[in-house]
Amino acid sequence: MRKKPRFHSLKKLKVRQDWSRWSLYSIHKVAQPNTATRTYFQQKWTAKANTRAYHGEHIREKQWKHMFRRNLPAVVPMDHKYLARYDGAEQASGRGAGADSTEKAPKPMLTPYMQMTYYPLERRLDSAIFRSLFASSVRQARQFVVHGLVKVNGKKIPYPGYMLNPGDMFQVEPSSVMFATGAPKVRSRVARKVSKEKTAARAESWQQPPPPPTSTLPVRDEPTPTELKKHMQELMASVESVLSEDVKAKDKQKFRALRQTIKKSIGLWKTANPEMISTLDTQFEFLTAQLQKSSNSAVSETASADNKTPTLSGEEERALRTAFDKLKLETEHTSQWNARDSSAPYATPWRPRDYMNAFAFIPRYLEVNQNICAAVYLRHPVARPGLAEVPTPFPIETGQLAFNWYLRRR
Amino acid sequence: MPPRLRPSTLSSAISTCPPVRPQCISQSPRISREFSQTSCQRITKRRRLFYEWLNTTGASLKEPIPGSTNYLGAYDRYGNLIRAAPGWQRNKAENTKKDSEKGAEQATQPGGQEVEDDLEMSARRDEQKKGNAKQENQLPPETAEDLRPFPMNHHFRSQPVLSEDLREAIYQRVKRDGATVALASVEFGVSNERVGAVVRLKQLEKEWIAQGKRLAIPYSKAVLDMVPTTPYVDPTKAKNKYIRPITHEAINDLIVHPATRQQLFVPVAESRHFTRVDAGKAFDNNLLPADDRIPHPELVLAERESAMGLSFEERKALALERMEQEEEKRRRKQDKEQAYLRSLKTVPKRRWDFVFKDVSVDSVGIDGRDHRGVGWRYGMPHEDRKRGQVKIPTKVDA
Repeated sequence: MRKKPRFHSLKKLKVRQDWSRWSLYSIHKVAQPNTATRTYFQQKWTAKANTRAYHGEHIREKQWKHMFRRNLPAVVPMDHKYLARYDGAEQASGRGAGADSTEKAPKPMLTPYMQMTYYPLERRLDSAIFRSLFASSVRQARQFVVHGLVKVNGKKIPYPGYMLNPGDMFQVEPSSVMFATGAPKVRSRVARKVSKEKTAARAESWQQPPPPPTSTLPVRDEPTPTELKKHMQELMASVESVLSEDVKAKDKQKFRALRQTIKKSIGLWKTANPEMISTLDTQFEFLTAQLQKSSNSAVSETASADNKTPTLSGEEERALRTAFDKLKLETEHTSQWNARDSSAPYATPWRPRDYMNAFAFIPRYLEVNQNICAAVYLRHPVARPGLAEVPTPFPIETGQLAFNWYLRRR
Repeated sequence: MPPRLRPSTLSSAISTCPPVRPQCISQSPRISREFSQTSCQRITKRRRLFYEWLNTTGASLKEPIPGSTNYLGAYDRYGNLIRAAPGWQRNKAENTKKDSEKGAEQATQPGGQEVEDDLEMSARRDEQKKGNAKQENQLPPETAEDLRPFPMNHHFRSQPVLSEDLREAIYQRVKRDGATVALASVEFGVSNERVGAVVRLKQLEKEWIAQGKRLAIPYSKAVLDMVPTTPYVDPTKAKNKYIRPITHEAINDLIVHPATRQQLFVPVAESRHFTRVDAGKAFDNNLLPADDRIPHPELVLAERESAMGLSFEERKALALERMEQEEEKRRRKQDKEQAYLRSLKTVPKRRWDFVFKDVSVDSVGIDGRDHRGVGWRYGMPHEDRKRGQVKIPTKVDA
């Protein structure tokens, strides 16, 4: 049997959809098609071969041929002021009466339709995941989908060929994204020892009989008041840690006031409704409401108490909110992502993999939220004057030849 | 032919196998390997050139430049950063960047500096300015060529994405202030779909935070540092009073209609006032003019009204009226949908629900071919269990 050709070969340089150094080198080596000494068929063939090695190389040719469309989408940005001022008749007015001007109007920019040949492939779920920088190659993105790590609109979709519709939201498991985009792990002596211990432990657990199945606990979506209280207490502790760190003495007064309010709210937490803390914002609102109540009661009971209880002015409100943000940042910095962790499948503390920055771009047809590793497919990619939204490393001449290859009727 | 093995050197060949792939080749190549018939990979010219490139231009692309993008298009043939000043050095830039980042972090530290006295604030700002002036080793902002990840493709460049602040601002504007999507789109210079997507994603993020799920913050920071971003200019702040908000993208994109792709020659009398509406009709009878097909037709109307010389109150009244009409239209559509759903009778079962719909025999029409008629599909077997039928879903309901 014939040997399978190398995926990255220096002999036949092909650009592939991944973040490897070979891809970078082959992007650097991409050249204009040779039109001088080759026949039209040869040119088209080479252009097709090169572009297909990049676009949907894992898709069979026939599948792609079915996806190919002659009509390529494009948009033209309009100026609403121009539309309001003119109704279009001014373009022809007085032409017959000799109003033709000799000076030429500025030529509009070329709309690169020919770079849009492969736009139907960008609609595929695996390419969209790769384009939103959640995987380091399309094949890896495909693996994520097949392994059930990807959700579309909250539903697990195991089909890499699922064609995204405008408005579809897809989510990838963040730990997988961290693995795909993080620097690979270099096995150290310690790591090897840890893994050996682990395998030993696992072998032991296999020897032992499995524990009797415990009755499954009912899954609660909403937290109980005690859980909420615990959560609040944790927040409180982190506020204190913030206070102890890097705040000046002047701000400390305000922070102390904040701490008072949080303490009070912890006391009042038992009466709280679980729905009230669906988001951080509502938590915050809850806090303010509780504070208002407490201050009011204080006013009614003792007149002397109200100068001690702080009412939340706009300034303090902002302070409270920013404190919450700070807490968020704090937790993310000390979070386990960046702690040393020998069990993580990537190098810890996490850092982006080599050469990632050269491939890091997010096309405009996607809106990505990196924090939750989710993205929305806004619309199909389009060409606009001067820009084509399909990311392709080839010059427009190659794109044109490839388009012409697929145009031909056989 | 069986492989010829030389037992004397075999063990040493295996033991010298390095665990990590070498980045550059330094050891002298051997002509043949003892355990294999295939000749050893010789350092060909191609490999040499590859590693040469990787150790020059490739080396500068290996790690990101902090606070800047780092694409292939920003380098010349010899691996020099084109936009950098002659004395620019990468390592030095990193150091200064770190310092400036620290300063920025201090300035934006929540709680602390926001509520600080004005005096101290201004002092801090002055300090920062001095610090900025000191940085001679700073990179100038990227040009369009520097943003090309594919140097040969002149029609593609890495376009900016929304920064975290801008996303938050959009979310707050829509969720807290209750602005419509169209209004937020115009205010922030972000397309309608993107506003909706940002709100949706941000909502999910807040839910994750509330649930205590771990966010991929290190990843997010790394990515947003690598790609160009559109910053948020807060108009409420005093220092941004005279700074114009930055437009993220064109919000009035007109889709090129397939009917307009052809070239038409329409003879028209010279005296005729041939407008966009007429031009649309010439292409296709159902083609609306551009004024109605752009995402923000209300901007055109508002502009026209101001050009007509209407006073602010009048314009406001007209805009309100339009908004009311829009609302009414939306409500009517919703009512219709609700009425249809109410007309269905649903019998819930364990796995699927049975849904019954009232039908009339007369709906087949005169020729009996109307699609609303019953029974027109009888005798048509489903093919979805057949071999080779693709069963990938075509849509997933949100």
